[in-house]
Amino acid sequence: MALRIDKFALRKPAAILGLSLVAIHLILALFSPWIAPYDPTALVGGRAEAPGAEFLLGTDVLGRDYLSRLLYGGRMALIVTFTGVVAAVTIGSLLGVAAAYFGGVLDDVLMRICDIKLALPGILFVSLFITGFGESLMVLITLIGMIYFPGVIRIVRAQAMTQVNLGYVKAAQLRGESAPSVIAREILPNTLDVVYVEFAIRMSHAVLLLSTMSYLGLGLSPPTPDWGLMVSEGVGQISFAPWLVLFPAVFISTLVIGLNFGAEALANALGMDAARGYVGGV
Amino acid sequence: MSILQATNLNVSYRRSDGVMSPAVIDASFTLAEGESLGIVGESGSGKSTLARALMGYARPGGLITSGEVLLEGRDVRRMPAAEMKLVRGGKVAFVPQNPLSSLTPHLKVGSQVAEAVRIHRGCGAAEARAATLELFAATNLPGPAGLYDRFPHELSGGQRQRVVIAAALAGNPRLVILDEPTTALDKTTEIQVLELVRSLRKRLNTALVYVSHDLNVVSEMCDRVLVMLRGAVVEEGPTARVYRQPSSDYTRKLIASVPRIDREPEGVQAPSDAAPLLSVRDLGFRYPSRGGFFSRAKQTARPALEGISFDIAPGETLGLVGESGSGKSTAAAIVAGLLTAGTGTLRFAGDALAGSARERTQEQRRRIQIVFQDPLSSLNPRHRIESILARPLALFHGLTGAEARRQSLELFEQLQLDPQLLDAYPRQLSGGQQQRVAIARAFAAKPDLVICDEVTSALDVSVQAQVIALLKDLQQRNGAACLFISHDLGVIRQVAGRVVVLRDGTIRETGTTKAVFQKPADEYTRLLIDAASRGYVNLP
Amino acid sequence: MGKAILRRLALSLMVVWLVTVLVFISTEVLPGDALQVSLTADEAAQMSEADFTKRRAELGLDRPAPVRYFSWLANAARGDFGKTIIGREDVATVIGYPLRNSILLGLVTALVAIPIALAIGIAAAYWRGRWPDMMASSGAILGYSIPEFASGNFLVLCFAIWLPVFPAMITAFTRDAPSTLIAASFLPILTVVIGSIAHLVRLVRAGFIEALNSDYVERARLAGTSELQLVLRHALPASVIPALNSAALYVAGLLSGIIVVEKVFAYPGLGLVLIQAVEKREVAVVQAISLVAAVVVVSMNLLADAAVMALDPRARRR
Repeated sequence: MALRIDKFALRKPAAILGLSLVAIHLILALFSPWIAPYDPTALVGGRAEAPGAEFLLGTDVLGRDYLSRLLYGGRMALIVTFTGVVAAVTIGSLLGVAAAYFGGVLDDVLMRICDIKLALPGILFVSLFITGFGESLMVLITLIGMIYFPGVIRIVRAQAMTQVNLGYVKAAQLRGESAPSVIAREILPNTLDVVYVEFAIRMSHAVLLLSTMSYLGLGLSPPTPDWGLMVSEGVGQISFAPWLVLFPAVFISTLVIGLNFGAEALANALGMDAARGYVGGV
Repeated sequence: MSILQATNLNVSYRRSDGVMSPAVIDASFTLAEGESLGIVGESGSGKSTLARALMGYARPGGLITSGEVLLEGRDVRRMPAAEMKLVRGGKVAFVPQNPLSSLTPHLKVGSQVAEAVRIHRGCGAAEARAATLELFAATNLPGPAGLYDRFPHELSGGQRQRVVIAAALAGNPRLVILDEPTTALDKTTEIQVLELVRSLRKRLNTALVYVSHDLNVVSEMCDRVLVMLRGAVVEEGPTARVYRQPSSDYTRKLIASVPRIDREPEGVQAPSDAAPLLSVRDLGFRYPSRGGFFSRAKQTARPALEGISFDIAPGETLGLVGESGSGKSTAAAIVAGLLTAGTGTLRFAGDALAGSARERTQEQRRRIQIVFQDPLSSLNPRHRIESILARPLALFHGLTGAEARRQSLELFEQLQLDPQLLDAYPRQLSGGQQQRVAIARAFAAKPDLVICDEVTSALDVSVQAQVIALLKDLQQRNGAACLFISHDLGVIRQVAGRVVVLRDGTIRETGTTKAVFQKPADEYTRLLIDAASRGYVNLP
Repeated sequence: MGKAILRRLALSLMVVWLVTVLVFISTEVLPGDALQVSLTADEAAQMSEADFTKRRAELGLDRPAPVRYFSWLANAARGDFGKTIIGREDVATVIGYPLRNSILLGLVTALVAIPIALAIGIAAAYWRGRWPDMMASSGAILGYSIPEFASGNFLVLCFAIWLPVFPAMITAFTRDAPSTLIAASFLPILTVVIGSIAHLVRLVRAGFIEALNSDYVERARLAGTSELQLVLRHALPASVIPALNSAALYVAGLLSGIIVVEKVFAYPGLGLVLIQAVEKREVAVVQAISLVAAVVVVSMNLLADAAVMALDPRARRR
């Protein structure tokens, strides 16, 4: 666990807002089966009814309760992105530290892989692989993992490189400790701060990417309730039923805002510089 | 007429929790025209903050909370911004510590000086350029015309500092404030820069405020001195008086801690005739040109080490003296096994010693230990002190649990460390405590040879003396030999029985410390001795 | 300096080549599927086993992968990206004008966004911690947290439906002159610009803060240099460098923003073509667009590297 948490950084309004938003979304996603008034896939009302007493946030074009669909909307997205990002961060961190420690060919190869990823925006990556491999959940999770692990490698490698020549690492080497031991006991724990922040930032990028893909019809598919899908389904009705587009947009935006403010707060609390270079979500 | 008068100056910094933490407390002093005042103190004393406050400036996060600074009668704190811009760089000039980071990297050095000239002399571009070349000549910079178009990273440290001084002189200042101007420089360069400052001062009759932690230099350069401790001024007066008859305990302790090259050391083993423990013959090393498949770098111009040979007898301390670039740290790294020499041999206790630590036996690794210069980075920030010591105890002696803890506590006692620190993390310890832990870790292995690479250079002077004494004590208890590397001749004198002087990768002189320091045969050694003892005139 | 640029060029070419390998692997690794994928449903239903084998041989799909790869690569280098499945059109023709339109959109966005982001970023850094900074930083986070499809549709709602000032969909056509296209594209441009500015402001602000807190700005300030000179002459060039180093990321982000916005507003660019191509599994089109995108990103990165060398004398000798 991180040692040096500056608690005052966590008390700033932006930090509180961010962490609260994330917490709220997590709770909603976890407990939606108990909170949602209706089954999100059931046709319970008239088509595109305005928000009212019976359906608090209205109904969609097929007559399903929008509130229930919104509450369920984050579940699949969060599961897919969380799994993918955890895989990306785990693999990326290990490779990043290895690249910093061993240098040489391993480092060169990994840096080329990162360069390739940089050359293609996430959307194109997904498009390519979906065209070839289809749209299953496994493909999406693997894609998210593949898209984000190069970025993690870069950042963790940079951090590890600041440690590799320090006295305590040399002292361990001089004790005859094996390379895996030095990496695991000495270097890895000192890259954890960076890893935590990376995780938060990649989550925000992944949520943006997945919802964008779903909007474009290249990600999650109906009848899964998903916010991005819901926006694209509602676009046709935008003039007379604007809430169909607005509500899911608000849900996505608040989650991503929460993740981004939260990542900032985490970085500040751990004493890191305001995140530089974390540009370009998708 | 006093040129500067500070009264009850207070400066504080805002912490992350919003609380103002004082850095300078009620500082007051007067400086006459043409006079030079030294401000000495250890890290955290507030001397740099005070120096900047004299210009009405505080670093980001800092605030001058009260007091006044009268510069030729005008209060700097109440000046309108426009006047302040003319005063800074004009009447008062500032020379900062690190010339590399103090010059804008993407601007030519000439244009940075010319900028100051234009602001304070109000002239056009051509005149400013001419004036800049004159300033370059006045600061002894070689080839001023060609130097004008160079960038900061293309110059040497000494040249950069001269450029900064030239910029400071652009406005014909009455007062120049220097913040540790030679700390980042070599001894030889330092001598030249100090000489330059002295001659300029005499010629222009400027007053000086000279901030430094180095008592010798201040003694050499300053008529009066002000001693600071944790923000407060503990003593002030003429240099000779303060140094010889300090009225404050802290000043007394500070003066006593300065390691002297002319004092007989205690507890240093006399050179012996025993068979050498460590034998180094014809060591040579060249740093490889860096670069992987996709980048290229030039070959380094000269070898880092060439033809290095020396012996260390059991229990003896051999000093390795040199400036940065002399190769002393490279030699230490090779003996430790961090670098493999290109040529030459190493022998330890009669056996051949492999170049890389990985190829040595565990016994050899145990018997040769190293303590690094920077104490904080030599301890893993994520490990508690106890586990930092437990590792070598387990690896080399198979001790664990209560046994290990007992050993650690014994080492702690020998190093005068509070046992409670075992449960702390490195960043919770002071620099001196951290270094003692690093020393404890080295001695936990019960080594026969300890390599000390500039182990006191990052410490405050008062802490340094204590650490050296404890190190010598531990060395004696263990009967361990020591290869002590330092650029500070005073420390070497106090620690080492024999000494090797390195310059540019080769040995210039070697012999017993006493003999070499009293009658240096080599010219370079003589230069170093002179530089080290210049300030002794004022010391008791 | 020339040598350094050549080295970067060689590196960039290698990256593009590796991208071609990736593109090929991601879509053509399994020979069976490549054939399935290249036939329409009707055609597939009518073919017999023997037909499949014959067809496979005709298309050269029975050759080993490396051979297929190099022939594909050779064609691509000549601009021949194959034909679409439905309609058998030249892929190169299909993507021609849309490519021009997307590049147009990107250029206009960059031209508008970069100066604005510089100004906001510098102001935020200079008045760090005070309200201009608070507003700019929070605004920036909001700007890049809201996905383009959300902000785009929101703008449609506000300025095309509630206040019918602009058209909700683009009224210009694929082959219209650039000026016509741009004139009809206020809302999509605005949407991408907002996202762009948000990303850039963060970078510029961070770089500027670091420059303003540097030792060299302190020395210059204490030498009496005016605030304006400090900002423009001393701090600005140094602060732009971190942003330039992230050029590849910026361009990639710009591209993805453009793709989404084209769908929202039916702007006739490469994004729309891409989306349709994926839906219909038009492999050749997706491959072609990916290659083009990679080339664009890599070239922009190269330009940015050159700019860094121009700005930072230390980067010139390496």
